[in-house]
Amino acid sequence: MSKKSRSKLWFLVHSWLALPIWFFVLIVCVTGTLAVVSQEIVWLANPEIRASKPSDDAEPLSYDQVINAIKRAEPLVIVQSIIRPDESHFALSVTLSYPDGRSVEVYVNPYTGAIQGISPAFDFKQFTRALHGWWLVPFTNGFSWGWYLVSALGLPLLASLITGLVVYKRFWKGFLRPTLRIRHGARIFWGDFHRLSGIWSIWFIAVISITGTWFLIQAILGDNQISISSEPIVPVIARENVPTSAPGVPAPMIALDDAIEIASQRIPGLETSFVFLPLNAYSHLQIGGRGWYPLMFQTAQINPYTGEVAVSHLLSNRSTLEFVTESMRPLHTGDFGGLWIKLIWAFFGLVLSMMVLSGLLIWTKRTALATLHALKRSHKAPRQAAAVAALQAEMTEGNQ
Amino acid sequence: MSKVAAATPSPLRAVWLKWRFHLNVLLLLVPLGFMPKYLADAALFRGDSGIGERVAGEVQVGPWSLTLAEFRNEGPRPDPAGPMKFFNAALCANCAEQVKATYLRIGKPRSLRAAGVIFFGTPYRMGALLPVPERTPADAELWVTMEGWDGTMHQGSIALSQASPATIAWLNKQGVKP
Repeated sequence: MSKKSRSKLWFLVHSWLALPIWFFVLIVCVTGTLAVVSQEIVWLANPEIRASKPSDDAEPLSYDQVINAIKRAEPLVIVQSIIRPDESHFALSVTLSYPDGRSVEVYVNPYTGAIQGISPAFDFKQFTRALHGWWLVPFTNGFSWGWYLVSALGLPLLASLITGLVVYKRFWKGFLRPTLRIRHGARIFWGDFHRLSGIWSIWFIAVISITGTWFLIQAILGDNQISISSEPIVPVIARENVPTSAPGVPAPMIALDDAIEIASQRIPGLETSFVFLPLNAYSHLQIGGRGWYPLMFQTAQINPYTGEVAVSHLLSNRSTLEFVTESMRPLHTGDFGGLWIKLIWAFFGLVLSMMVLSGLLIWTKRTALATLHALKRSHKAPRQAAAVAALQAEMTEGNQ
Repeated sequence: MSKVAAATPSPLRAVWLKWRFHLNVLLLLVPLGFMPKYLADAALFRGDSGIGERVAGEVQVGPWSLTLAEFRNEGPRPDPAGPMKFFNAALCANCAEQVKATYLRIGKPRSLRAAGVIFFGTPYRMGALLPVPERTPADAELWVTMEGWDGTMHQGSIALSQASPATIAWLNKQGVKP
């Protein structure tokens, strides 16, 4: 195959990768962008999720103090979990079990312990994530087919990146001489825009497509019961290790703050940003947080009666493969280093959405013309000629 | 290049050529169609619509009792470990402090050690994933075992047909495997 026809082929592949599904790709990109900053959007819309300081010198409460404050306000509720969000401007996310059978997330002020509000029935954060992640298709048996549908887009996205770089010869020159011609018509503008935003988002498209493809692999592994996890299976607390007590008197558990203190002494570097209280009398208390590597969590399962650390799952326990695979999700969502990383992810998410749109516009403007010409000449000349002419114009333009 | 395209296209074909690549807009019908299901599931998980899709009734267990519900009003779901049925329950108001643990099993347990699967959760809302063998007889009983903090044990039962008619329908559909 000649060099020219080979590059033509690359170009055709690049043009066709997203085109037949452009709208689906666009919506997945837009909802993904929204999902990155969904928590921030809720923060803007709902004052109940904000962690306002009652005074300038207010100190955050300990976990036990939070539970006590909740118990004072709502004596009958049972605290199931407390999560301290990474960013200090968010209220604590606490799951409460109410006597009427509800088990809901509430927003608790980290300085006063006041329940500021109950999460609404329509959870914007969860909804955008569900829409982006699995197209709202329910999980009934293993992964939902919506999950496969969305995560499979990782492959054409990766292919678009590679073919795009092959087609855009000497693309690195675009970094030095950025071109964005505004006064030469829409077709030229969108072409320049597509190339310029493309080269500046190489890293982002690579991250999103590779991590997206990982979600596909994850589903395939999961649905075939293949596990690569080193996470230990936690046995329940043995019957003889749970103290018996008088009828109607639950066996006393140690204070939550003490349990965290014991675990922190036993496991240096274990930071606690979430606690899950025992799920029944034979279940452990789970605490966890980020370690030195911000993309992964470390956890410890603690016997709530003695404070003994039954099982821990630390960074040092992870295999090299797990460092790669467990980093995939935070790399995809940008949820690992505070607000600025989220904003960078959201910005490039928007750019990626615009690339889908500009790709479509280029295609319609070019192909609409080519089709028009072809239809006009359909009696005289083969239609291919016009399409090929348009194609050549397109390819030379990018290489100026 | 098909021969049809080369000839003067019919209006229908022109519309198809113009719009074929926008047909994927129809994929938007998928999340729109699943929206009611998504919202109903969200309410079910939060407990806004009660402890389960179908409340089976009260089960008396010695001095205590619980309200048993099917989390979903459907037959067991496939699982690598065999078909599983998820039940939810809430303890009676004055036995929440009394009961240390609650277990669920098909057929009467011989001892506390064989009491079945344990419920996870709070006394207000707890769940247990019950294995349902495909050869379970349709007249089977579901046994609830409760353990007090002092070690006392009480048992009670409910007919599987009352606890989950959908599971009976599923069993009948499976037929008895040889």
